[in-house]
Amino acid sequence: MTTAKITNPSIVLQLDGLTKKIGGKAIVDGLSFDIAKGEVVGLLGPNGAGKTTTMRMIVGLIGMTEGDVRICGQSIRTSFEQAIRHVGGIIENPEFYPYMSGYDNLKQYQRMTAGVTDARIAEVTKLVGMQDALGKKVKAYSLGMRQRLGIAQALLHEPKLLILDEPTNGLDPAGIKEMREYLKQIAEAEGIAILVSSHLLSEIELMCSRVIVIQEGKLVTVRSLGEAESTKQKVLSISMQVGNAGQALEVINRMEGIMAAQSDSFTNKITFELQQDQIPGLVASLAAEGVAIYRIEEVRATLEEEFMKLTGGNRIA
Amino acid sequence: MRNFTGLLINEWLKLSKKKSFFVAYAILAVVFGIMGYAFYEIQPDGLTSTVDFATGTIMLQAAGQLVPVLAVLAAAGSVTQEYRYGTIKFLLIRAQSRHKILASKYIVMVVYTLTLVLTTAALAVAAGYIVYGGGSGESTWTDFLGNIASLAVYSIVFVTMTFMIGILTKSNGASIGIGIFSMMAGSLLVMLLSRYTITKYLLFANTDLSVYRSDAVPIEGMTLVFSIVILLVYMALFLSVSFAVFKKRDIA
Ligand SMILES: Nc1ncnc2c1ncn2[C@@H]1O[C@H](COP(=O)(O)OP(=O)(O)OP(=O)(O)O)[C@@H](O)[C@H]1O
Ligand SMILES: [Mg+2]
Repeated sequence: MTTAKITNPSIVLQLDGLTKKIGGKAIVDGLSFDIAKGEVVGLLGPNGAGKTTTMRMIVGLIGMTEGDVRICGQSIRTSFEQAIRHVGGIIENPEFYPYMSGYDNLKQYQRMTAGVTDARIAEVTKLVGMQDALGKKVKAYSLGMRQRLGIAQALLHEPKLLILDEPTNGLDPAGIKEMREYLKQIAEAEGIAILVSSHLLSEIELMCSRVIVIQEGKLVTVRSLGEAESTKQKVLSISMQVGNAGQALEVINRMEGIMAAQSDSFTNKITFELQQDQIPGLVASLAAEGVAIYRIEEVRATLEEEFMKLTGGNRIA
Repeated sequence: MRNFTGLLINEWLKLSKKKSFFVAYAILAVVFGIMGYAFYEIQPDGLTSTVDFATGTIMLQAAGQLVPVLAVLAAAGSVTQEYRYGTIKFLLIRAQSRHKILASKYIVMVVYTLTLVLTTAALAVAAGYIVYGGGSGESTWTDFLGNIASLAVYSIVFVTMTFMIGILTKSNGASIGIGIFSMMAGSLLVMLLSRYTITKYLLFANTDLSVYRSDAVPIEGMTLVFSIVILLVYMALFLSVSFAVFKKRDIA
């Protein structure tokens, strides 16, 4: 078992050959990766891939068979209390004492950690928009409300690392969007590192700068999601439904920097790749030539398809 | 240390914020109310004073039996409810060791049990005073205090055992079942096996210390000190198992 200390001080979470065997079967198998301050990282994998198991080991709910988890340089195995104090988390569903109010539940966690003030409780409940429901008993909460209270609970002690297992589970579309926004915001503003699991690549794409794909407990790939590229220069794959595909293709071929144009004269659909700031020019040219445009769509399947290929579709481990 | 006080407050609130919290005390009040009334109506022989009434009713063979039952009901839930609600996952990811968390749970269970014992004692004296208004009889206050102590010891022993079963089984129902069953069947077992001397080492042969106030010792050669030592050994065993298992347990 290696005990090498982290060298880069901005590394908040470090997994080092993390392995969990139950009954001889490796559920998580030699997982290693780092997460730095302010990073939002997605942990992606099909059902049964080992996402929840990995997160349980990170927060010390279950023991590890081999390897180590270090949080801000402290091993969760050998210095649990020093390591866990930097972590806030929700593993699977957020569960509270149903017969107590949301406020009383948060007070429970306030009493468990030194230095959490009443002002901090007010601050986090406002952040998750729960200030009006806080006096109600938790048994009267919807899943979405519990999810929000779960986030409040996780942020209470100003952690440096958030571990969130499918945090958008049970939220309505507006709630999902809101959650995404404030996760991004707290990562940026407070420099919190976030590890968030999901089986939906589309969701991960929208909030993470990096995605770690696992399957059957093993690392499949680590990929940066092109947030660094400025959106203007970003090459998009576009599909267009037009009145006459042949005519449209002629116009497109005349323009510079548009790649891999394909047309289907039967469905009158053309697909091509170009930079975002070229789109207005192209649309103007097509209109000027009298090509009818019915639909313009971005084709985002590439990463999704790649994920399917890597993980063998929806096969459950 | 301030943190540990916080844990104790948390555990007490988990118990007292439940609607059912007052039910236990209410049951005791109702039972002593009924008993007081019945004694007033029937005027049984040999009972002539407040102390007689109080000493007699808090015995394990009388209304006192309610106390360990109510205490076991609560002790079974202490750890198992955290599993049932799923709150164990939030509880154990704080900067608090599992040992401290479990210690706070156990201490609060013992305190709760003592509140039941003291409530029972107070109710017994109150009901006895209403019915007999003092008076003089066979029993002394020393007998009464002795019975309170026996009741407390008996209750705490079963609370400790049930607490451990809760950790081992993670099931509230199973813990209540095993806790109460062993309370009932334990003394029967001791009776059946009383001709073997080895029986005196059984937990159940030693749980009721009030036998040493009379000569009805369950098995020849047993003494108060012997029983206390046996109880301490069992308690140490139950607690070691509880803490060791809770520390190591994977929370899945
Ligand atoms: N306590 C356990 N005993 C035996 N096997 C287990 C245990 N816990 C989990 N597993 C197995 O480990 C594998 C990974 O489970 P895990 O819950 O980590 O998956 P997941 O990636 O979170 O899946 P999901 O997307 O469905 O939440 C599964 O095959 C599961 O059956
Ligand atoms: Mg999961």
